[in-house]
Amino acid sequence: MLTYMRNKLVNIEIPADDIYVAYGFLDDHIYSLETTFQVNGADMTIKWLKGHWNRYTTPDCPRAEDPLQGAVGLCLTDEGFNRSIHRIVGRKACRHFATLILECCDAIVKTKQMIENPEKEPEKIAETSMPGSKIPRILDTAPKRIRKNAKIPFDQLEKAPHGFTIDLHMHTSPASSCASSPVDEMIEEAKRIGLDGICLTDHNYRWDPKDIQKLRDKHQFLVLGGNEITTVQGDILVFGLDEDIQGIIALKDLAEKVAAVDGFMIAAHPFRGFLAVSGDKLGLDVERAANRPMFSLVDGIEALNSKVTVDENRFCGQVAKALNLPATGGSDAHLAGEVGVYATKFSRVIEDEEELIAALRAGDGVPVDFRNDK
Amino acid sequence: MAHLISFSRSRCTTVEESSDGIMTCTCRVTDNILDARVQIQATLPDLEIMTANSRIDHSLIGGMPVAEERLQNLLGVRIGPGMLKIIEGLMGDDPACVELAYMAEECCHGAILSLTKEELKKAPLEPAESRDFFSKMVQKNVRLHNRCAAFADGSSLLDGVDIS
Repeated sequence: MLTYMRNKLVNIEIPADDIYVAYGFLDDHIYSLETTFQVNGADMTIKWLKGHWNRYTTPDCPRAEDPLQGAVGLCLTDEGFNRSIHRIVGRKACRHFATLILECCDAIVKTKQMIENPEKEPEKIAETSMPGSKIPRILDTAPKRIRKNAKIPFDQLEKAPHGFTIDLHMHTSPASSCASSPVDEMIEEAKRIGLDGICLTDHNYRWDPKDIQKLRDKHQFLVLGGNEITTVQGDILVFGLDEDIQGIIALKDLAEKVAAVDGFMIAAHPFRGFLAVSGDKLGLDVERAANRPMFSLVDGIEALNSKVTVDENRFCGQVAKALNLPATGGSDAHLAGEVGVYATKFSRVIEDEEELIAALRAGDGVPVDFRNDK
Repeated sequence: MAHLISFSRSRCTTVEESSDGIMTCTCRVTDNILDARVQIQATLPDLEIMTANSRIDHSLIGGMPVAEERLQNLLGVRIGPGMLKIIEGLMGDDPACVELAYMAEECCHGAILSLTKEELKKAPLEPAESRDFFSKMVQKNVRLHNRCAAFADGSSLLDGVDIS
């Protein structure tokens, strides 16, 4: 039975030399919207743009029409153009307008190429969210042993009468392109709110242990290295793997690498978005969810993450319990103000990655609602 | 001068759901340089891609056979947040791969919007009740906050809503 249909129609007119006018129309079972805009071929920038709704869902969707003007002046051939449209139009106006504008822009680029070089194959704006990922690949073949961080006799590490709390999941700029705050701001905020340590888990980015040591020395604060690695089956927080993995890797392959170095893998936000939309329709229950093959390959489950709903976190905790897997908490902060929303509390002091892994493996960590519990 | 069109594209995405919980999502595109179809099937409730296939009727973009083969990399990918990064990473960025990856993404978006449509059927038509419905939606799913103009600060949907 047909449950959904979306039609997108894009036409490109060239009313004068090097002037491109795009007419875009999107109509589906939920939305209907249109856009018309002009791009000058000489500099490939958007000169003017109009857009309006025909049908929408919420009473405030019409607020999206004015912010569409943020696209004017953007250059189609700039690196990061797609990202800019998603950020400016998608976030401030509506992602369906962003989708339609990008579809039109792709058509303009192809039209220009067809006209300028009819013999050459037209190319789409070849921009992906994984820069440099021409072919899925993995750097370094032989996993190295984890490097033990130097012990640091900070005052805060001497005793942990009330537990020792670490935010196990956060992103920094520019290591993660989606993050906004630099690492120093994240650390300062972590210190300010009373965390005992943080883990830097930037996307497919391995911090140099020397840089981490410098951060520790500079801030006199526990900073640990980690990584959030994108696998075919979802994002995985990895500790103890000193390997720079780029592109997408199968979870099974990652598990082999991590096992080879006695590292630790945590399924990050494994049910993100699952219950937000049509949870009833999906019919996902704890038993079925716990049987997902991915859980046989990870060592723990992130049961508190600030980017998912309360229901999704609760469900995740139930799945972790059903599987008897260690549960952790992490903010998944992309801004300094988000650090420590959730964290993991240990019964004893953690001084380095090896101790963190040992504590996690022993099931010593407990996910905590850190900012609210304070 | 007549306002003639130099380039035209029609992209149609459909989702069909069978009684055994399999969603079949198809994206068809026809434009000046490409006439193609990508179809994926995903199972409920996991929403994992179980099959992916394609048919290229006409293409001026080279490398389609490789791109079609690479669609098989998508098997096992879960439809949901974070999927675009995975799909683009698995397909690579050769022009033909980018085309088919985008079509696969359209299929996945179609699957999500098909489920969203079911939820939206519950939205009341009366303005005040409708506002209340969507206010509760953003309150329950804080990830929606600031994701679009309707759920941004200043929106009436956030009046009196404690996002923290």
